[in-house]
Amino acid sequence: MCVLFKQISMKTPVSVLRLPRGPDPNSRGFDPNSPRFIALCPTTLSSSSSSGAVDEEEQRLRSDLRERFLRTLLLMTDKQVEFNMHEKVRVRARFGASDIDVLNFQVSGLETPLGVQKEALLRCQDVISCSFEL
Amino acid sequence: MAMRQTPLTCSGHTRPVVDLAFSGITPYGYFLISACKDGKPMLRQGDTGDWIGTFLGHKGAVWGATLNKEATKAATAAADFTAKVWDAVTGDEVLTLAHKHIVKSVNFTQDSNYLLTGGNDKVLRIYDLSKPEADPQEIAGHTSAIKKALWCNNDQQILSAADDKTIRLWDKNTQEAVHTLSFDASVTSMEYIPDGEIVVITYGRTIGFYNAHSLDLIKTVDAPASIHSASLHPEKDFFVAGGDDFKLYKYDYTTKEEMESYKGHFGPIHTVRFSPDGELYASGSEDGTLRLWQTAVGKTYGLWKCVLPEELSSENSEVLYCPPAEIKA
Repeated sequence: MCVLFKQISMKTPVSVLRLPRGPDPNSRGFDPNSPRFIALCPTTLSSSSSSGAVDEEEQRLRSDLRERFLRTLLLMTDKQVEFNMHEKVRVRARFGASDIDVLNFQVSGLETPLGVQKEALLRCQDVISCSFEL
Repeated sequence: MAMRQTPLTCSGHTRPVVDLAFSGITPYGYFLISACKDGKPMLRQGDTGDWIGTFLGHKGAVWGATLNKEATKAATAAADFTAKVWDAVTGDEVLTLAHKHIVKSVNFTQDSNYLLTGGNDKVLRIYDLSKPEADPQEIAGHTSAIKKALWCNNDQQILSAADDKTIRLWDKNTQEAVHTLSFDASVTSMEYIPDGEIVVITYGRTIGFYNAHSLDLIKTVDAPASIHSASLHPEKDFFVAGGDDFKLYKYDYTTKEEMESYKGHFGPIHTVRFSPDGELYASGSEDGTLRLWQTAVGKTYGLWKCVLPEELSSENSEVLYCPPAEIKA
């Protein structure tokens, strides 16, 4: 008769201070307050250089576009929106909100060929365009 | 006192991790990038595994990822037919390089000015990153998909491994193949060690070490299972290998003896690399995780803390986490 032994390891496992930190679900990371970021990233606005005026104008235009985009998202809230997505997908849903990095849109009543999904998240990278009535 | 290895698991990816690369040692430590089939390569602090950021933009599985020496730039190769260059400090996408098929491999020159790409369209491409709109220099010759392409010999030559079961050494200027190695089985991985001019190649259950100039064989070692990736320690005293049986093997490079094997992953190991200081090695697996392993088990380094027996039972111990003893079958 053959007897199997389970050998209990007598070695002590190496201790760790903590486990590695995982990704932040709400952001793509690259903390602008980290020492490396602060040391290595030049600021986008440079008022002392000769091209300062051009940079300021570009920054102003960027701010305007960003503000328009954010206001559009606000206007879209609770409205029926039609999303045009990759692979010729067109779906309609009630827009709820976007996450901070515009990675996902929270929607309700998503009309899909398989039925209406009460609550859903749409991956923004899949969205080509969206339209809604003001 | 013998200690048992405690691997550090880095979670976050949702699909298999197929490639990983370390940067050089920078004033801020060293960094690690992981390529994943979920399309979202991640940057981590190399000695702790702490997540720093995710590079968002690819629309398909990322097959290859690399960092430049200073960890200021990253490059990725993906199934969406593009290679992308990223700012590794801000996470922003800097360049998208369109290809005609799946891109599998990307590699920077030492000065970060040129990017080498290779993939399923069988052509090696060299992009001048200071003139990204210019057409890349192309080197054709392989008869099937390129798996890995690396700069070597002071960035004057290129090593490429393809599914045509050959590894070719090309001269960058003449674009001719200077040497070719043929195998009976598909080459699963390739690593170039500049200091010492060694190329580490894995195929079947074999880990082979070759001279990087002549492609002469130095030695081969056979493992108990099919090996997908191997890495040689910077001081060339050990090498590690992992593959189909989910285990990581550690060998003495001089004697070729198997020193240790470690369980931990829940799937085949696709990639394994030593850190630039040789203190740890990282493995990426089908199970979607990256694991960090100590070279000198028990040493205080990164998140690992050497705890003397008296400290373990003391109430003043600052150690927060001690993994439970496991029953080893």
